[in-house]
Amino acid sequence: MMPKNRTLQIGQSVPRADAFKKVTGEEMYAADYYGKDLLWAGVKRAGIPHARIIGIHAEEASLLPGVVKVLTHRDIKGTNRQGVIRKDQPVLADERVRHAGDGLAMVIAEDRETLQKALDLITLDLEPLEAVLDPERAVMKDAPLIHDDNPGGNILLKGLIEKGDPDSALKKCDMTVEMSFRLPHQEHAYLETESGLAILKDDNRIEIIVSTQTPFRDRRETAEAVGIEEGRIRIIAPYCGGAFGGKDGINVQSLLALACLHCPGRPIKMWWSREESFLASCKRHPAVITCRLGASSDGLLQALDTEIVFDTGPYDHLGGAVMALGMEHACGPYRIPDVRISARAVYTNNPIGGAFRGFGVPQVAAAMEQMMDILAKKCGISPIEIRLLNAVAKGDKNPLGTTMTGSTGMLECLETLERDPAWTDREKWKAGAGPFKVRGTGIASAMHGMGYGPLIPDTANAKIELTRDGRFRVYSGVVDMGQGNASTCLQIAGDILNQEMTRMELVLPDTDRTLPSGSASASRTTYTFGNALIDAARILKERILNRISDMMMIKGAEEMALIPGAVRHLPSGKEISLADAARMMTGEERIVTSRFRAPVAGDAPTKDQALRIHGIPHTIFSYGAHLACVEIDELTGRVEVMKYVAVSDCGRIINPQIFQQQIQGGISQGIGYALYEDFIMDKGSILTKDLSTYIIPTALDIPDMKSIAVELPEHTGPFGLKGAGEIAIDAPLPAIANGIADACHVRIERFPLTPERILEALEKGQMRGDTA
Amino acid sequence: MKIGFKLNEKEIVIHVPPDKRAIDVLREDLGLTGAKEGCGSGECGACTILVDGESKLSCLMLAAQLEGREIATIEGLERDGIPHPIQEAFVEHGAVQCGFCTPGMILSTVDLLKQNPDPDREEIRKGLSGNLCRCTGYQKIVDAVEAGANKVNSTIKGPASKE
Amino acid sequence: MDVYNPHTMQELRDLISGHPEARVFAGGTDLLVAIRRGALSPSLLICLDRIESLKGIEDRGDEIFISACTTHAMILRSALLLEHAPVLTQAVGELGSPQIRNMGTIGGNIITASPAGDTLPPLYVLKAEMEIHGPASGRRMPIDEFIRGPGSVNLLHGEILTGVAIPKEAPWDIGHYEKVGKRKALSIAIAGLAASIRLSGSGEIINARLAWGSLGPKIIISRPVEAALIGRPLTLKTLKDAAALARDAVSPISDVRAGAEYRRTLAGNLLLRLIQCADGSKAPLPRGG
Repeated sequence: MMPKNRTLQIGQSVPRADAFKKVTGEEMYAADYYGKDLLWAGVKRAGIPHARIIGIHAEEASLLPGVVKVLTHRDIKGTNRQGVIRKDQPVLADERVRHAGDGLAMVIAEDRETLQKALDLITLDLEPLEAVLDPERAVMKDAPLIHDDNPGGNILLKGLIEKGDPDSALKKCDMTVEMSFRLPHQEHAYLETESGLAILKDDNRIEIIVSTQTPFRDRRETAEAVGIEEGRIRIIAPYCGGAFGGKDGINVQSLLALACLHCPGRPIKMWWSREESFLASCKRHPAVITCRLGASSDGLLQALDTEIVFDTGPYDHLGGAVMALGMEHACGPYRIPDVRISARAVYTNNPIGGAFRGFGVPQVAAAMEQMMDILAKKCGISPIEIRLLNAVAKGDKNPLGTTMTGSTGMLECLETLERDPAWTDREKWKAGAGPFKVRGTGIASAMHGMGYGPLIPDTANAKIELTRDGRFRVYSGVVDMGQGNASTCLQIAGDILNQEMTRMELVLPDTDRTLPSGSASASRTTYTFGNALIDAARILKERILNRISDMMMIKGAEEMALIPGAVRHLPSGKEISLADAARMMTGEERIVTSRFRAPVAGDAPTKDQALRIHGIPHTIFSYGAHLACVEIDELTGRVEVMKYVAVSDCGRIINPQIFQQQIQGGISQGIGYALYEDFIMDKGSILTKDLSTYIIPTALDIPDMKSIAVELPEHTGPFGLKGAGEIAIDAPLPAIANGIADACHVRIERFPLTPERILEALEKGQMRGDTA
Repeated sequence: MKIGFKLNEKEIVIHVPPDKRAIDVLREDLGLTGAKEGCGSGECGACTILVDGESKLSCLMLAAQLEGREIATIEGLERDGIPHPIQEAFVEHGAVQCGFCTPGMILSTVDLLKQNPDPDREEIRKGLSGNLCRCTGYQKIVDAVEAGANKVNSTIKGPASKE
Repeated sequence: MDVYNPHTMQELRDLISGHPEARVFAGGTDLLVAIRRGALSPSLLICLDRIESLKGIEDRGDEIFISACTTHAMILRSALLLEHAPVLTQAVGELGSPQIRNMGTIGGNIITASPAGDTLPPLYVLKAEMEIHGPASGRRMPIDEFIRGPGSVNLLHGEILTGVAIPKEAPWDIGHYEKVGKRKALSIAIAGLAASIRLSGSGEIINARLAWGSLGPKIIISRPVEAALIGRPLTLKTLKDAAALARDAVSPISDVRAGAEYRRTLAGNLLLRLIQCADGSKAPLPRGG
């Protein structure tokens, strides 16, 4: 246990700086802000997946006492279009409804009851159009176009990468395996739903407090969509009550800004109910993945031909970037000489496909990691052996042709897993299954690229200040949505400045006070912001020591050391308090800003500019090897994960406790994706529309998880760190599926592996196709 | 309706519509935003409060039901600035990530330990099975409760260990 | 909505007779969810939570009486019920979550009369009787007559369910409940089986009561399946033969939680679990859900 008031150092499991205010209930999330003379805003949503908007009838609603305004697209002066890459999503729908969650009107009222009554009074005159409910239909010549102005028709983005000659290579292979997989939507189900509070103040600026991963980008998008100058908007981003990618993009921001323009001077609150969050928020992209994998008889991979189709729903919402990351990772962390990777992200009228931790990799890993196991069985080698045989090492080229220049710990992860008792003692464990139970173990490995790829700048700007009273204030430009990057950054600065956590202060992202630092996504926040902060902290330290040496006729910084609360002159032992040091400097001098931009790959596996913009290739990868020990109940089909081991290469670990938090959390969402989270749609309507029907795991459903870090330092990272946010969610589904196959020789193409699907497969016996 | 009850050890009287949800009374009328709304339908436990010492879901309670009860919210757990051993344990053991589920999780823990002062890990998981967490995977929460239970049991009776 | 908190049965009766449109509730865990969903919009609610005479578990000699507003948590803590009605205790232990068990009541679970109600299959095999009080008098009714269908019970206007009587019987050799849900807590039952089995000295089944939940509009009792067990040894073969009949005895539907075929298979498979009690012990079985 950490005694309080110990100086911060890299490598310590410092309890998180934000934890105390969260355990006392003091910490304020966006949803916790109210105000005097508060107004409530809410949205009338379409309820059907595809329609032409004939009319929106809000007269009765507007006249209801307590209703201040009812707004539609006609009240929007700006572009009424938002999106990160392709701006195709309206704030309020104008000519068409493109999914059941589309908002058509916004009511602003004095209280929540009146708001709901008014929303119920609004009638929508909609002419239903054929709803395009799957990507196969969407690409047919006679399918309705979701966006008339999209050059690709219903294809948002497509890509093809080919190396060598996969077709002939596959023909020559001793062993080939072919299979298709269907991955479902996954709901983020953050506990804090979309929420914000906004006000148009006397200085004509709109201040928005919102649960978001992207305050600076939001400001630009909202300004454009709503039609005001960007500088008039201030966005404040408190800790999110969870986000996982679901708040990477506009949700309430533009709506609130619009509301403020029409109801100036009063605070306006919007807080989506859980049902509304299900209806309107983005989800993990469903995918259909078909693979043909070929190897020589000893298990050495020769060729892969894979086709990936992502259902991106009605709006871009980073769908192209998800597709690209999926493509880049489709081969897994292996060497394969001949490959074809073909992918498309297709528009439909299903729910919006958007960013969700993993971002395309869980889908492709689900396929590839199962193919590896099927192949291993065919070749008569173990799942670990086949991975050890084929894993990329530093200096290798991956199948796309990117050289692994960064730290590459895939082999180390696998070797560590191979030595773990859960693996070495697995047969004994399996034999201990009780009546009506059967046990299996499954392995999966994964890699995960960090950052935005070669073209989009992955930049952060850190700001650090020596305050007048001698404390260090870090201005974080990057949102902490629970991953602990804020606390880690205080730890980084604290190590450089040799201070305890009690002397460190944090300013959370605020477009008026902190500096643009990119999105809280892509496993890059601590890496990029941390690197910027290290530089800023070192400069500040130097500046403080230089000032003291000038003022006090000391030879130089080399004679001084920062200690908690003071600077010590080493030869004499004299100490100058940090508050005194602050008095020796002007306000400007006490603040240092520094920018860091992440390195990009030198290789160019593709000349396709669209794929490059969307992220291919990355250059720094994290790795993971997971083992799932599962027990299946033959009477009910229920699968329980009894034990789980995850070995990860995330570079050097700055805070082991925070690292474990990320891994355990990622695994548990992966277990949900594999076994519990059945997202059920019917004709464009979500049937699992609340937490009673969409099942996320409880404390009884997740086992204890063992997390081991293989600490090969990533030399470009802050103290050797690289991303840990997503690697752990990429492997659980295939590890579990492989465990189930090991236990009862059942392999199912559809996910999640619900008890019903398992029992049906058990009754029908063996596996499908040539995959036995 | 006039409703009188004890809130975090202090007697109060409020005037609210009798059918206002208890969670809205706490958050809007009393400014206590520690209890969170995650679903509004009793599925997530983020709104958990203690009613006469028992954990209950404030999103499924009406203001009228508060009458005469002793209500404890997360804000009342600290005594004279001293955190409850469970709060400390959650901090020390990394049981807090985004923190939105945390107040409800802690109050459910308090009720659990009152009924079963020395639970094993499975009993802890069962005791917290009404509180969903999307961030942690629960393991460090279980670690924290195990450690916190030991602290609660070994602490000399005083304000901080009252629960 | 107006909300009243009567403290006595008399106050309650007066309120009900004065407000025929009122909706009565105890824990509120079902009612408030229904109101949120828009399924109900009552103008007046009467909360039963202050009426102490409606709470408690009493040993009445030949029966155990559970007053209607006894919470599930109180049922779980009752040593009396654990001894005499372990199948009920087991089921209640898996209902909802700790908070829902602190709030919800046995009376509420019965009146809601969901086919998935966790207390119901045990109450059927325990041959529980409902105690009902009207303005003038009281009556009793077996639970299988009281529940008419989903959400529908045999209560006349002005009547209140005041409690549940469980006859004391000679201890059963096996008192078993298994619930299949989508996860291990906060899970509506997809299928449930309550079973009370009595064995002879030589391991032969001499009496069997079975009740399936979530597999039809009402809790399902099947005399043919019980008959297929009685007089036979408790072996896997016996259970498999009965399981085949069980699959035909149930009428499950497909809904967002599960398909009908899966439920039908479960109806039979859940019987097979009883083999784990073959030594006659009441040992805890693998937790369902």
